[in-house]
Amino acid sequence: MSVQTMPAQALSALRLRLPPLTTQTFVGLAVAIVTAAVVLYPIYYLIQASLDVGDPDVRPPTAYGFDNFALLPDYWEILLNTLVVSFAATVMALVFGFLTAWILNRTEVPLRRTLEQAMAVPYYVTPLLGAFAWSLLGAPESGLINQAWRAMGGQEALIDITSPYGIAWVMALFEGSVAFVMIGAVMKSMDPSLEEAAQVMGAGRWRTMLRVTLPLVAPGVLGAAIFVFAEMLGSFSAALVLGTPSRFYVITTAMFQLVSQYPPRIPLAAAMGVSLFAVMFVMLFFYRRLISRGSYVTVSGKAFRPRLMDVGPLRWVLFAVCIAYVLLSVVLPILTLVSVSLQKVTALVPSAANFTFEHYRTALGLNAVRYAMTNSLMLGAATATIGVLVTGLLSWLIYRSRLPGSGVIEYIVMFPQSVPRLVFAFGMMWAWLVFPIPIYGTLWVLLIAYLTVFLPLGVRTISSVMLQLDKSLEECGEVCGASWGYRIRRITMPLLRPGLLAAWLLLFIASVRELGASILLMGPNSKVLTPAIVEAWFATSSELTAAMALIQTFVVGIAMAIFIALTRRASQLGGA
Amino acid sequence: MTVQNLRNSPEIEVENLEISYGSVRTVGPISFSVTSGQQLTLLGPSGCGKTTTLRALAGLERPSGGDIRIGGRTMYSSAEGVNLPAEQRGLSMVFQSYAIWPHMTVYENVAFGLRVRRKSAAEIEEKVRGALDLVQMAKFADRHASQLSGGQQQRVALARACAFSPSVLLFDEPLSNLDAKLRADMRIELRELQHRLGVTSVYVTHDLEEALAMSDQIIVMRGGHIEQSGSPGEIYNFPRTDFVADFVGSSNLIRGRTRPDLAADGLIALETDAGHVIHGVAHGRRTAADAVMSVRTVHLRLDETSPPGKLNVWPVTVKRAVFLGDLTQVHLDWGGKELVVRRTALDGLAEGQQAFLSVDPQRCVLLESA
Repeated sequence: MSVQTMPAQALSALRLRLPPLTTQTFVGLAVAIVTAAVVLYPIYYLIQASLDVGDPDVRPPTAYGFDNFALLPDYWEILLNTLVVSFAATVMALVFGFLTAWILNRTEVPLRRTLEQAMAVPYYVTPLLGAFAWSLLGAPESGLINQAWRAMGGQEALIDITSPYGIAWVMALFEGSVAFVMIGAVMKSMDPSLEEAAQVMGAGRWRTMLRVTLPLVAPGVLGAAIFVFAEMLGSFSAALVLGTPSRFYVITTAMFQLVSQYPPRIPLAAAMGVSLFAVMFVMLFFYRRLISRGSYVTVSGKAFRPRLMDVGPLRWVLFAVCIAYVLLSVVLPILTLVSVSLQKVTALVPSAANFTFEHYRTALGLNAVRYAMTNSLMLGAATATIGVLVTGLLSWLIYRSRLPGSGVIEYIVMFPQSVPRLVFAFGMMWAWLVFPIPIYGTLWVLLIAYLTVFLPLGVRTISSVMLQLDKSLEECGEVCGASWGYRIRRITMPLLRPGLLAAWLLLFIASVRELGASILLMGPNSKVLTPAIVEAWFATSSELTAAMALIQTFVVGIAMAIFIALTRRASQLGGA
Repeated sequence: MTVQNLRNSPEIEVENLEISYGSVRTVGPISFSVTSGQQLTLLGPSGCGKTTTLRALAGLERPSGGDIRIGGRTMYSSAEGVNLPAEQRGLSMVFQSYAIWPHMTVYENVAFGLRVRRKSAAEIEEKVRGALDLVQMAKFADRHASQLSGGQQQRVALARACAFSPSVLLFDEPLSNLDAKLRADMRIELRELQHRLGVTSVYVTHDLEEALAMSDQIIVMRGGHIEQSGSPGEIYNFPRTDFVADFVGSSNLIRGRTRPDLAADGLIALETDAGHVIHGVAHGRRTAADAVMSVRTVHLRLDETSPPGKLNVWPVTVKRAVFLGDLTQVHLDWGGKELVVRRTALDGLAEGQQAFLSVDPQRCVLLESA
């Protein structure tokens, strides 16, 4: 240093505090700032709209106030509906989840491995398909189950899937499988010696269960309960399909109604969205607190082989419980949709005379469907590809870089998790409407929406693999003298490969089937498939809708198969 | 500058290094230097800051103050605002977990540092073969890391670390994941390798034997500070504090009042509460009124008959004898204080038996008073 003036020293002190401007810092900061902007910009507009009490036709708002929130108590019925449905769905999901997790992790039930894999399927069936299928099965008049009931001499309807508990049932079956995963993880991570210790001290099987096992898994189950309840509050598709026709609204479907009716009541919908978001935010905050404090069982982080309980002949009963769950959530809905889509007019007992491929022909022949399908697949591939790059980089920044402020980035990235996609899209609608570059009503706004709302999904998938990698694998490259770009390319990316591929697949599937954000953001010239299917459900026949829904499922399946085949081939070539 | 000067010049210089997490200072300020071609070992219990210090040298941890110079280049300086990233420091490191990249073959792992430095294909081939020969792993060149045992991975990590001929090698507990037998073998191999390559190295371990066997210089760390530094002999024979005495091999700590009136022949004398007088060496340390001496358990002698000599001989009672294989550990009652003796003698001393305890005054070392 030749010039040792005071400003130079001050500058060097400053430089020490700020990270040096390398490629790594530059790319990192750029990604972090763009992510923050994309996440927070719509939230700003959501809140702005909720406080708008001026002339509804003028933007930006001419006056601000809390009047919209003051109106909310008038809609107490909707709030009550939301609470009843969410609470019922959470209870059902926890009962299913706890029971199946316990059976599959802790007892010697036959076909344990196969059943465990089958438990993931309802998630892939999606609540929308589940709602269609269960509507066909359980509608009070036309539902196949109720028809069968009356054919057997029953009175009225056996089940009513359009009732609050019916809606909760569908939500629990198809959105509640996360409870199984969460509770299962807690049971897997429990050190069996804790229970063995109790038994050695002379406690019987039931006493051990009551005094040791249950208290140990309780924090995990509580965490799952909060998480599932927050999810259910923001749930949209089951209530839309099953509740709307009989004017039964929960908060998300009410918001959608307020936005799409004429004249729209945007500020009121925004106030509902902000309230919902605030409640979910607080709940997920407590969930995080609960999880980060670490329930006693998960502290060690070791993987244990859980001790299996010998339940004797009871295992066949438990086996039947699991099979029943799979039947109700996978087999029965899919069979129903297939059967309905292949009949001219839906009948309880399929007959040869009634058989037809007409609905598939119609669905595939509709220009609108082909157009929406192409858009959806294109968007899916684009979201997955860009999403993997962005979330991969973000995961690395959050969990591996020594950049200051990586904790803040994590918070921003995980933020969309506490905002229902419909509410998020609502903010985005306004945000991009006033954006200087006219992308509103194009596929671009959908791409941005998907990338934003699926940030947590991508980051969670990639970081779960990243956190399993020993940190020193990268540090060693660093000490060996490799630059940041070279390290990422030669060490981090190849090691993360399974995580990146999984993230691509998940992002693709999630985008192609997205409903809550798409339904608000798609324009007449940017139709996508899932909202188109929902429109068909309300406007045309259920047979046609079933065919469309199955075509979508099939196409997603084919796309996945091609992707897996391609990557397997590429990895074989690369490994040679 | 003569060749002689160059060899003895410090390769690594650390001055007033401090490392903090938030407001908690975990290391420092500490200062030390390593002469070119020498091996320095940072020794201490877990959480003493030894690994953090090593990572700061490597550039993997960001210090909060001080200076680090390696090979005359400033790597970190808080005053000048310099902090070179790890990849520009030109060092090499062997990690505790080995960090062998599972997606590459052994050959590619070792070649990594050379490829980064854009060496020619011929040079890469030659250096990789050389490094693999050095650790006797040449025949495994095409294997993947998952197909190697722990000891083999260790060797590959070592080959990778020296392949690009770095001037400084850092070791982060490289032997801690090996079983005891292999660890003892690798200790000697590593030492030989270090001599052959003439590379300056910094080694981190919590294992005393490893430190004594492998180092030219040892720094004992505790709570982020240097407790004592010196040659292995110095550290073992003349521990500075009760912590070093206790950590570096088992010691008996004997507390008492100094008796200058009994001091003679360059020895100092201590009188315990029970009235025993023990003579020892001050090793240049200041004697306070109350002082502590350290006596290694293996340096205490036990005899059934009174040995010749007057200094440092006491009658004692055997409380318990524990058979440990190579050694027998005997617990004694020494005027109300329990002393531990480790001896190889075959005569079985029974509990309650009377015996004579003696120790060479040169083996009784005064500790620095707190």
